[in-house]
Amino acid sequence: MVVRSYNDELKYLEKVSDHCWRIKKGFQPNMNVEGCFYVNSRLERLMLEELKNSCRPGAVGGFLPGVKQIANVAALPGIVGRSIGLPDIHSGYGFAIGNMAAFDMDDPLSVVSPGGVGFDINCGVRLLRTNLYEKDVQPVKEQLAQSLFDHIPVGVGSKGIIPMNARDLEEALEMGMDWSLREGYVWAEDKEHCEEYGRMLNADPAKVSMRAKKRGLPQLGTLGAGNHYAEIQVVDEIYDKWSASKMGIEEKGQVVVMIHSGSRGFGHQVATDALVQMEKAMKRDKIETNDRQLACARINSVEGQDYLKAMAAAANFAWVNRSSMTFLTRQAFAKMFNTTPDDLDMHVIYDVSHNIAKVENHMVDGKERKLLVHRKGSTRAFPPHHPLIPVDYQLTGQPVLVGGTMGTCSYVLTGTEQGMKETFGSTCHGAGRALSRAKSRRNIDYKEVLEKLDQIGIAIRVASPKLVMEEAPESYKDVTDVVDTCHAAGISKKCIKLRPIAVIKG
Amino acid sequence: MEVEFSKDNFLLPEMKYEYLDHTADVQLHGWGTSLKEAFEQCGVAMFGYMTELEYVSVEQCFEIEAKGDDLEGLLFHFLDELLFLFSAEPYLVCKKLEITKFDMETFEISCRCYGEPFELGKHPQGTEVKAITYSAMQIVQDTTANHYEVFVIIDI
Repeated sequence: MVVRSYNDELKYLEKVSDHCWRIKKGFQPNMNVEGCFYVNSRLERLMLEELKNSCRPGAVGGFLPGVKQIANVAALPGIVGRSIGLPDIHSGYGFAIGNMAAFDMDDPLSVVSPGGVGFDINCGVRLLRTNLYEKDVQPVKEQLAQSLFDHIPVGVGSKGIIPMNARDLEEALEMGMDWSLREGYVWAEDKEHCEEYGRMLNADPAKVSMRAKKRGLPQLGTLGAGNHYAEIQVVDEIYDKWSASKMGIEEKGQVVVMIHSGSRGFGHQVATDALVQMEKAMKRDKIETNDRQLACARINSVEGQDYLKAMAAAANFAWVNRSSMTFLTRQAFAKMFNTTPDDLDMHVIYDVSHNIAKVENHMVDGKERKLLVHRKGSTRAFPPHHPLIPVDYQLTGQPVLVGGTMGTCSYVLTGTEQGMKETFGSTCHGAGRALSRAKSRRNIDYKEVLEKLDQIGIAIRVASPKLVMEEAPESYKDVTDVVDTCHAAGISKKCIKLRPIAVIKG
Repeated sequence: MEVEFSKDNFLLPEMKYEYLDHTADVQLHGWGTSLKEAFEQCGVAMFGYMTELEYVSVEQCFEIEAKGDDLEGLLFHFLDELLFLFSAEPYLVCKKLEITKFDMETFEISCRCYGEPFELGKHPQGTEVKAITYSAMQIVQDTTANHYEVFVIIDI
């Protein structure tokens, strides 16, 4: 790795607009394209501080700052356009979290990298609407939170309650939400409001290890731990009334449910297995990367194809997982209000995937090209009229669901034409960590965190209360900064702001 | 594979591990007077992040095997086996690990894992470990001072 002083490093960075920085070639060795990142003044400070800290002389251990990771990704074979950092970027494994990169499918040297997807394959966010208002829910908020907590298995070691055997799992992996539909867990129209209609067709369960299946089976229909959650939220602000109404959001105070979860141990194991396979493929095909953690394989190699098929199976697992929790959420609400999910109008507004690689067509230098787009901690944000978004959102652009941190707020954005041009139709995914977990545990007291939530009227049910400080808002960047940056840069557009009134966590 | 063991003269090892800073994840740091001990400690450290080990009693023993291409690979696969022991049948939380075979030439490990199946209500829920990573992995061998250390970042 090149060792330079902080001031020398800065020579490779150039602020090109109020919200965008350019990373010039040479910042890291062998960059095929330039990098860039989107920040506002506050996020910019965090970003540069991280770089500065890594430039300390004689530092050992430690990790690569996000900005260096963007540049390392820019050095991967077959990358086109730019390696892009979104405003919520932070250092991750190989790729930074909040990094997107696209690779030319027609270039035989192009690669696919499991690090560009993440361990939690098809981690994503789903938003359900209701026709309830805050005044309907406030009096029963605590009971409702408890009921959701009782319905949805959360936290380490919890097991799914949707009956499944090994054969069901094979079918679910192949069929994704079509399986959920066949088994009666979701509504037909739910699929319409999911990326890929809740099913990646190239999924092949035969490419998945027995170990991944064994880890996955007991965990299907569980929320997980860490930053995953289910929240009851109310509409706090509507920025774009027309688009909001297309999503069935009419006024402030309307109640929605947000579910943030992924493919659980199944996806984690698929990613782990692929990384081990790819290490070998890299040696064989002599693929050189700047960082050992950027394990990758040529898209057309056996390892590359096997990974894409297994990743698709994990993506299907995640959709079935979120669908199972959708079912449980609908049951909990119906019981509480003594009615049916239908009468509560509990439709899926949308379901986004923020850890995934997909084949998409984009314009590059005036020509349409078929690309493998990696989005790690980045959400697809397609503009109005894009053929891959559902008919209901053809005129608004694709809804983008941005989950905030515990007790802050979340946003619904819509995709824009400018985002399509600048970032391959991608935007931010959440708040992005600012403090390390260990630091959070040392500096923040969990009782204070819980009290604070209570004071602002948020009911909370959490499986591991002693760990809530790791997820406290102080540990994260401000999601509003992140979303405002995306809006100001034009890569997506603010539509709705949501505020939580009850949080269920692992 | 479950194996028999005797609770007579069963001793728990002293704690030689800690958790270090990393932005999104956590770094396990285990040490000991042999590499074997450092590996064992690192493994227990991982379980300590999933639950509180004082609530775990030693009821069962399972034997696992791991193999790598090099020392880092061996550590990676050793921890991956332990994670699997927890993530699927028998859902074991280990309080003590005892490496019975540590082959530095073929990079193979056999290990006896003592603990009990994870049970909601009995064991507090900690954080879920998604995966083991090679990220900033370090294995320090100071043979003169008889001091061995390992550093592993786990994805959570």
